[in-house]
Amino acid sequence: MADYLSQIIFWLGITLITLGVIGAMRRIRLWRQGQSSTVHWKGLLQIPKRYLVDLHHVVARDKYISNTHVATAGGFVLTSVLVIIVYLFGIKGAVLNWLMLFSSALMLVGAVFVFKRRINPPANLSKGKWSRLPYSLLIYSTTFLLLALPATGLLPDYTGSYLMIALLSVGVFWGFSEMYFGITWGGPMKHAFAGALHLGLHRRQERFGGGRSTGLKALDLDKDSLGVEKPEDFKWNQLLSFDACVECGRCEKACPAFAAGQPLNPKKLIQDMVVGMAGGDTAKFAGSPYPGVTGTYKGGAIIPIVDTLVPANTIWSCTTCRACVEECPMMIEHVDAIVDMRRHQTLEKGNTPGKSAELLENLKTTDNPNGYAPDSRMDWAADQNLKVFGEDTQQADVLLWMGDAAFDLRNQRTLRATVALLRAASVDFAVIGNQECDVGDAARRLGDEATFQRLTKDNIATLSKYQFKHIVTTDPHVFHSLKNEYPDFGGHYSVYHHTQFLAELVQQSKLKLNSTSLGDVTYHDPCYLGRYNGEFDAPRYLLESMGISVKEMERSQRRSRCCGGGGGAPITDIPGEQRIPDMRIADAKEINAGTVAVACPQCNAMFEGVVAPRPDIKDVAELMLDATVFEEAH
Amino acid sequence: MAQFDALFKPLKINNLTIRNRVVSTAHAEVYATEGGMTTERYVKYYEEKAKGGCGLCICGGSSVVSIDSPQGWWKSVNLSTDRIIPHFQNLADAVHKHGGKIMIQITHMGRRSRWDGDNWTTLLSPSGIREPVHRATCKTIEVEEITRIIDDFAKAAGRAKAGGLDGVELSCVHQHLIDQFWSPRVNKRTDEWGGSFENRMRFGMEVLKAVREEVGPDFVVGMRITGDEFHADGLNHEDMKAIAAYYNETGLVDFFSVVGSGCDTHNTLANVIPNMSYPPEPFLHLAAGIKEVVSVPVMHAQNIKDPNQAQRILESGYVDFVGMTRAHIADPHLIAKIKLGQTDQIRQCVGANYCIDRQYQGLDVLCIQNAATSRESTMPHIIEKTTGVIRNVVIIGGGPAGMESARVCAERGHNVTLIEKNSELGGQITIAAKAPQRDQIAGITRWYALELARLEVDIKFNTEADEAMIRGLNPDVVILATGAKPFISQNPEWGADDGLVVSSWDVLNGEVAPGKNVLVYDTICEFSGLSVADFLAQTGAKVEIVTDDIKPGAAVGGTTFPTYYRSLYEQEVIMTSDLMLEKVYREDSNLIAVLENEYTGQKEERVVDQIVIENGTRPDEVLYYQLKSDSKNKGQIDIEALYDAKPQPALSDNEGGYLLYRIGDCVAQRNTHAAIYDALRLCKDF
Repeated sequence: MADYLSQIIFWLGITLITLGVIGAMRRIRLWRQGQSSTVHWKGLLQIPKRYLVDLHHVVARDKYISNTHVATAGGFVLTSVLVIIVYLFGIKGAVLNWLMLFSSALMLVGAVFVFKRRINPPANLSKGKWSRLPYSLLIYSTTFLLLALPATGLLPDYTGSYLMIALLSVGVFWGFSEMYFGITWGGPMKHAFAGALHLGLHRRQERFGGGRSTGLKALDLDKDSLGVEKPEDFKWNQLLSFDACVECGRCEKACPAFAAGQPLNPKKLIQDMVVGMAGGDTAKFAGSPYPGVTGTYKGGAIIPIVDTLVPANTIWSCTTCRACVEECPMMIEHVDAIVDMRRHQTLEKGNTPGKSAELLENLKTTDNPNGYAPDSRMDWAADQNLKVFGEDTQQADVLLWMGDAAFDLRNQRTLRATVALLRAASVDFAVIGNQECDVGDAARRLGDEATFQRLTKDNIATLSKYQFKHIVTTDPHVFHSLKNEYPDFGGHYSVYHHTQFLAELVQQSKLKLNSTSLGDVTYHDPCYLGRYNGEFDAPRYLLESMGISVKEMERSQRRSRCCGGGGGAPITDIPGEQRIPDMRIADAKEINAGTVAVACPQCNAMFEGVVAPRPDIKDVAELMLDATVFEEAH
Repeated sequence: MAQFDALFKPLKINNLTIRNRVVSTAHAEVYATEGGMTTERYVKYYEEKAKGGCGLCICGGSSVVSIDSPQGWWKSVNLSTDRIIPHFQNLADAVHKHGGKIMIQITHMGRRSRWDGDNWTTLLSPSGIREPVHRATCKTIEVEEITRIIDDFAKAAGRAKAGGLDGVELSCVHQHLIDQFWSPRVNKRTDEWGGSFENRMRFGMEVLKAVREEVGPDFVVGMRITGDEFHADGLNHEDMKAIAAYYNETGLVDFFSVVGSGCDTHNTLANVIPNMSYPPEPFLHLAAGIKEVVSVPVMHAQNIKDPNQAQRILESGYVDFVGMTRAHIADPHLIAKIKLGQTDQIRQCVGANYCIDRQYQGLDVLCIQNAATSRESTMPHIIEKTTGVIRNVVIIGGGPAGMESARVCAERGHNVTLIEKNSELGGQITIAAKAPQRDQIAGITRWYALELARLEVDIKFNTEADEAMIRGLNPDVVILATGAKPFISQNPEWGADDGLVVSSWDVLNGEVAPGKNVLVYDTICEFSGLSVADFLAQTGAKVEIVTDDIKPGAAVGGTTFPTYYRSLYEQEVIMTSDLMLEKVYREDSNLIAVLENEYTGQKEERVVDQIVIENGTRPDEVLYYQLKSDSKNKGQIDIEALYDAKPQPALSDNEGGYLLYRIGDCVAQRNTHAAIYDALRLCKDF
């Protein structure tokens, strides 16, 4: 009797695993439609560690699902190994039976919790085939539990119970189909197969082991077609990464554009990329749509994506805040994909929406996004007596990068405060004055890699003329570009965000701060300082040094919600149901903050654009200026 | 482009970078004292502007270079002695510390002064022709004196430079000595200093050369000139273009500042500092005309008060710098507020000309609405929050005293309730604004309304406060600013009780329909009488304004009575002085006004259908006496502390009960500035 069952399991196993392998070959062929990219073979060896450490680190932010996943996946992997040993290779033994009992029970426990979560699933979870998965997991685990029970002698043999044999056979068939066949044929278990490979072959190997890799990859401008027009224009390992998506929707929950009702849902975007890569339409997608977008879209590997598979407004809604990337347990790089597609739209099609074409034109003609006369960058400082590289000096300890704040009345206050603080600490600093060009952050994120690279080269050429130890900037976008993106073009600098530099000055007692009585203050983490560069502490340290006990908003630090000002979003200005900065200020109002401390000129501009009544918006440097003890200079 | 980018575009004058395009142009401050040495008050006045972001201050209107140009009348700065140099250093440091630049206007006033004081100078002028505004007789200047004064100019400029100032402006405007030589109206000489264009230009040219020689090429030397004297026998716009071009040609002038209108008559003087009856920037075209013919920056003041207006003028390229001088007197933090995005919080000049009209009386320049201006040593422009107890402050009356009290107390962080019986703020300002040409005075109220809303002051409109209500609010401090009522019952013979006469308020408020044939009897001779006469005339009434004083509007300042007169004469309003109203009686449907000549006792009568009395006000004291006896301080203001700008001693008692203060016209009739000043100095330490 048991032999019949073993035979059945053996042949079903052989068949479905074979089909699974065929499926895997087909899947790999789909990925190989993509463009060549470095193959990090060694990464494959790191898969278990990356799964257990890096991926689990992200998953563990949701304790329920991380425990559930450990039980389910751990139980499944162990059970499957045992299935192969016992049923395919025919190796028997009491230990194996007991192990099988344990592993299938473990998986069953996990599957029960998966099932429970699916009873009333939150909106971010996809339905459709994903609703089937808990049943498959329950069936797979129960089947092998039931098989292990008599094998360990805990239950009598099922001999003679045809019904039981039939049921178990169906269970094995169902389980194998889902787990061994479906895994490579587009079932929900695909995430395990593609996900494991993606962890090994990830395009940004630096991200593993606690590293950080947030700078955009440089685009070779000599290519015939620039950016991604169609799915096959992605790198092969990007295509692989899309397949790793588990449709958990954590990205969707974190996405500010989605929350604002703009037509972007990062999860759907990734799923649409899968549709594009494999060919077909979007009808089967069973998660939240792009807000405000209805209907079915079609795609294929050689079919242009924008407006066929994905509405143009979707890719232009992104603020590049990286909240999705930060949340993604599969470490998928949504922002890279979006910028890749924007690059094609901008560089090949000239299809930049809203006022962004004007911005790019301004950058080309005036080196700054708002088209101010290039020689007016120093106007704000007419009464500051700043030392200027090339005019007053060739060297200084610190090069203060002014950024676009120089042209903006509001953010000039931050610059003035920073200048006053640097002076109070007797820091030897200078600016490059009107030689400074925009760093190219907005151009790059709007897809205009050519303008970005031109500005980058110009700036690097200017910087190479002078001697300085550090660059300090009040703008996290400048900070990020100079620190993480300029090295690709030969610009290697020691770059500080002003809060970092000022924090050092306070630590060294070069700046003395009084306590202020500001009432309730919260701090808003700028994306490009926080998520992009991991700096959460310096601004908070400065606020605490002023006697401010920071009231944290619900979304803070790596989960901080974008102000809406990044990635050119304020100028592409894709309509939604509400404005991102309004939502963020609502977060601040929620905790009755009287002042929102910021550390980024974009955040400042976005929040000051929120209609009153609202909290005051102050850069950390401005708050410091009020608290600094100045010794009368003589 | 940003909203105010043209305003914030730095520009060089000579080699001096001015951080923005906004200038506080030269005006007599009337506080350089002790022989014309700048005082702490003077320095602080300019420091406040620099702190507030003003690009360039040109101080010291009519600061003298010679001892025979008297400075005592307007207490201008005296550059005729080296003693001034250390004072300048203080001044320069105070302004430079905040990134501002400071220059001084230097001049010899020639005939435009008074001789009857100080050194009992003999005034000088090219041809000894009398100056009417100052009733100034003078001698014809001799060549030796010309030479000496040229040298005085050079030395004075040298002192400005030695004191660390950034430049000098030669006053060639307002009929000072240089433009007295220019103007054929005054210069009738036939020697090398008069007659031909070159000869008339000679004195100014020699001064310019001597000054430049003294200060070197890098120190800023500018000229302030008129754009048109508006006199048939004077310099017209084309003449002025020729003059500007002539001096510009030398390359010795670093900027021109252009003023529309001459000012050696009362009527032209009123143009120079346009009051609220003028349109915005009425003489900009004259400055723009000068800009066409010169190659250096041109600046222009005159009724430029609003940042948007300034931006429009600058971005259109009419001139290079805008003078916003009165705008800075009203709010020295104007620029800072623009930069802070707080343009709604700018206290905008309303053109009441309280400042300049005081100056022409030899009184210190003060602002009708900002009592902190030129009192920087004692009065704050920015009210700090209190660190002491938070008080319940109940203010009765939303006129100037009440509004300022509410603002200051709210800025201090107290809980402020303001009770106003009318449906809007303003008190007597609201009435004043009803008159033709006077509507802009309501700008004072507009600012307060915005500020009190921003400060979330609880204003109860349409509420007549009574004793019980006030006590019910559980106040720590009660401020009565209930104002006053027209005092038309002073002489029972006027028949106010019988309804024979009405008040100017009744007419302006529309409570009484204007008559057809009206006699306005004005004992006060301030704005109110002329305003009501003007108002009535505009309705088509025949109006005679009668006063027992020396002339109607006698107390109205020199830059404002001319604009009233223009309107009143044009409407054939009869202005009669020296008659007092003895009695009014009714005869049939007419009213008979019996008038008696002040000096002869001779009586005369007028048959009219309406008699409007402007006899000032009587304070509204009812609430005060109801609340006085129970108040902790018996309603008394400690005037020693008040005048010393110190906290009221009674504030230190924080036990139960309330303090009671009354300010403004509910004490005695004074003016808007007095009400606001009392409110500020009383409440700033609450």
